[in-house]
Amino acid sequence: MFVFVPLSLLSFGGGQAIVADIQYQTVTVQGWLTNQEFTDMYAISRAAPGPSTLIAALIGWQVSGFWGAVVATLAIYIPSSIVVYAASHLWHKHADSPWRLAIERGLAPVALGLIFAGIVAVLRAAHILDANTVDLLGLATVLGSAALLYFTKISPYLLISLVAVLYGSLQYAGVV
Amino acid sequence: MFLNIGLTSFGGSSMAWLYRQVVERRRLMDDQQFMTGLTIAQVLPGANPVNLALYVGMQIRGKVGATLAAIGMVLPAFIVILLLGLLYRAYSDIPMLRAILVGMAASGVGTTLAMGITVATRFPRQAVPILIALITFVTVGILRWSMVPVVIVLIPLSVALAWWLERRRKGV
Repeated sequence: MFVFVPLSLLSFGGGQAIVADIQYQTVTVQGWLTNQEFTDMYAISRAAPGPSTLIAALIGWQVSGFWGAVVATLAIYIPSSIVVYAASHLWHKHADSPWRLAIERGLAPVALGLIFAGIVAVLRAAHILDANTVDLLGLATVLGSAALLYFTKISPYLLISLVAVLYGSLQYAGVV
Repeated sequence: MFLNIGLTSFGGSSMAWLYRQVVERRRLMDDQQFMTGLTIAQVLPGANPVNLALYVGMQIRGKVGATLAAIGMVLPAFIVILLLGLLYRAYSDIPMLRAILVGMAASGVGTTLAMGITVATRFPRQAVPILIALITFVTVGILRWSMVPVVIVLIPLSVALAWWLERRRKGV
């Protein structure tokens, strides 16, 4: 809970931004999960419908059962929700304030940097790319998925299902 | 009704669903109001679709609306993910499932990468924001510093710089 409350308040630009720190806190600092468990949960949370911050629910469950999941979910949503609620009021009151523009412009680069930091954290946790290993198939999947999503209008859920089928068949054929 | 919106918008691109339900079908808000909500949802911390639902609910029916909309958004997804987690625990030793999960994680990273690139290409070509984005990425991503202190220092700095640059641009 003490891990997720500050992260909730800092998840500017959506849940992707805090993936790096969720990995760092739960695997490295707290030792709640192994890198493999973290990667599996990341995979599940990306494949499931709904906001990807629900990875918090999975981690909470792993650590202390059903109520762990409930507490982690509340911890990740309630603080940010209160901020949004309060800020919506202020936002309308100060519609023309130059501070609004400065805040919007100032938050964007931090959010962008965090998104890419999250990518690195998962690559490392999944052993796709770290100091010792380079998993070419994994790397090809990452780049191929990104290219498909960037250049075509394929649905992310269709894509992730296709990749799941591909890896399932590769495993069946004994390649991975 | 809000729970209904939450349920129908869950799954797939929830923002687009919410737009269709709230603006096009039910006409609860106009385009302008919705776009304002979208900006707030993106700028502030929290999961974007949840924030947006919160904003929409609040506009339509105040506190109660906001609470119900947020619950409607999170609850179905919460139940689904716990069910998936249950399956994972029962079958995590099967090699095929292991392979599939690795593939899904890689593809999930690809999704995030595509989003990151989209945001990056729309990014202003100015030294200061690019530098801040790079510092954030290197400290949190490569050096693995804890995110909270990094962000607490960088956000006020970045906002202040944006404020200062804007003033200088106007020649005040």
